Amino acid sequence: MKLRVRPWGVVLAIGLILSITLSGIAYATLGDRLLGRGSTGQEVNELQSKLAQLGYGVGPIDGKFGPKTEAAIRDFQSDRGLRVDGLAGTQTTTELMRLTSQSTNASGKAIGNKNIDANLLARCVNGEARGEPFEGQVAVAAVIINRMSDPAYPKTIADIIYQPQAFSSVDDGQINLPPSASALRAAEEAINGSDPSGGAEFFFNPAKTSNRYIRSRPTIKQIGNHIFTK
Amino acid sequence: MHRKLWFGILAAAFLISLGWGFNEYRLAGNYRLAAENNNHRALTDFASHLDQMETDMVKGDVASNPTQKILYLSQVSSKSEAALQDFAQIPADQAGLSYVGAFITQSGDFARTLTQKIAGGETISAEEEKTLRDMHERLVPVNQKVQTIMTKMDTENLAWTDPAPSIWQRLGFGGPKIAKATADGSEAPSKSVRSGLDQLEASLQKLPPFSYTGQYATRVVSKPLGLPSGNVTQNQAQGVARDFLDKVGYRNIMPEFSGESQGPLGGYMWKYKEANLEVTRQGGVITLYRDQRTIEPRTLTIEEASKKAKVALQALGWQLTLTSNEDFGSYVQIDAVVEKDGVRIYPDKVRLMIALDNGQLIGLDATPYYAFHHSRTFPTKLTLDQAERKLRPDYKVLESRLAVIAKSGNQEVYCYEFRGRYQGEEYLLYLNAATGAEEKIQRIIKTPRGEFLQ
Repeated sequence: MKLRVRPWGVVLAIGLILSITLSGIAYATLGDRLLGRGSTGQEVNELQSKLAQLGYGVGPIDGKFGPKTEAAIRDFQSDRGLRVDGLAGTQTTTELMRLTSQSTNASGKAIGNKNIDANLLARCVNGEARGEPFEGQVAVAAVIINRMSDPAYPKTIADIIYQPQAFSSVDDGQINLPPSASALRAAEEAINGSDPSGGAEFFFNPAKTSNRYIRSRPTIKQIGNHIFTK
Repeated sequence: MHRKLWFGILAAAFLISLGWGFNEYRLAGNYRLAAENNNHRALTDFASHLDQMETDMVKGDVASNPTQKILYLSQVSSKSEAALQDFAQIPADQAGLSYVGAFITQSGDFARTLTQKIAGGETISAEEEKTLRDMHERLVPVNQKVQTIMTKMDTENLAWTDPAPSIWQRLGFGGPKIAKATADGSEAPSKSVRSGLDQLEASLQKLPPFSYTGQYATRVVSKPLGLPSGNVTQNQAQGVARDFLDKVGYRNIMPEFSGESQGPLGGYMWKYKEANLEVTRQGGVITLYRDQRTIEPRTLTIEEASKKAKVALQALGWQLTLTSNEDFGSYVQIDAVVEKDGVRIYPDKVRLMIALDNGQLIGLDATPYYAFHHSRTFPTKLTLDQAERKLRPDYKVLESRLAVIAKSGNQEVYCYEFRGRYQGEEYLLYLNAATGAEEKIQRIIKTPRGEFLQ
């Protein structure tokens, strides 16, 4: 005897299965499952935006774990001292969420990200010293910080960076590119007080600048392609 | 038939490009107008803040009631900051040192120093009053010149910057450019806002700087206090570099010379593979070291890394106390300061970086130590109980110690440090050890990377 499949039974069954699976997907958050090449979904979106926030470029945030996302995960794992496997497992996602969380006061109340200046500084470093060694990037950031304590310059980082004609990357729009992770690290180190430039207030690339004023200033040292001067 | 079709297509393309060109022209006009409005706002605000500064300066000078004096002089410093901010937005040909900016900052800074002095209960000396009056004398013509530029802008429609040289001038036929006139400070009428401001700069450059003890008295240390005496040669410096690299893990290698650096802490720069280090000319000590090798996955905790840091410091010959650390994932950055007779001396700081894969030292910055370290004598102080009584009654003290901290202007203050809680926030409060006056407050916040002081 053939089993008679009732139409409404089929519909009910399909509806039940769909609702269970869809609700499972809708409530999934970052860290629930291992994400790798080919994964899609809301968690991948969250993963990508957190990576981008820390300076690991993933291209457009489209919810698809592609080669760019994998490369960004690898860079992140190598920078943080985790095992480099290109997969977003528990360790990687926990570290990622911890680093993009807000700062808290002593009692645990969230008080914001506290890194406004670092972001702008990192963008300027990225625009000016993209291919330079890390010390060179910290030195460029330190030049801007040094200008803050000189009476001849404005007193805030934003004012110094956006001073007309002060930095070529501001005048040609390169400052609007998202900063790389090493630029962010360099900016944070400089804000913390590291100064490999030796107190410099100017820097220039001798192969690219013909500005006579900057060239006439007393040299302190050269790091990579940049000469740092007083 | 074909020709008519081609004619039609070309005509359509021409009309489309005309439409596109007109649209771009209109958009460019809008942008130019927006930029023009912003520049105008900056210049007008600059002139008005300068004017208010000048008024507040004389009022602060004439006031005899300390409260009134504080009111007007603190307005001078806040207006000077606002004026500087606007000045930085006016279009420039090229950025350089700005004498106008320096003068405005110094005036504001001096006013702030006076305000703090009066607020602390002291009176202004005759010499300081004279400096205030001299500053006002210098401010008056600056104010007038800026107002002249503004009037010319309205009447003569001045451009913002000098026009680019025309084709005639580029070919050599034109007369000398305006820039020459402004460079020697002559009073030739300026053709643009920028050249007017440059004339102002040139006139200020000729005047002697003010001397007073304020925030900007010394920005960089001209004479490092902690460097051993005597100079080393390049060969000796190479020996020092080799010994250091030997201690941090690169045995039996010869670093190569990679340049010299100038300045009071300058010296010889060396590199080996991905490590860079600098040895000073005076004293032959290592000031900077950084190793950029790839770091493997981490195996150490922060506590284990701190222990390795202590071992590394002792191997290099330092006796320091570790104070704070910052977690960068593959390495940890640790600060260490001198502690003498129980007093923590924060200006004498060494910063280390320890890799978290094998505990090796991968970074060292001893510049603050060599700039500021010297033997200090401490004046008589209050007892701990006397100092604690000067705190707020509801401030819950967690830790306390004696410390030396840096104040603005490269001055040092001998203090009691109280780490405590108040209303859910944690602070470091510094009270002057001799008088009990509050010197500095720092707020402790917990960021994803460690504790951070604000």
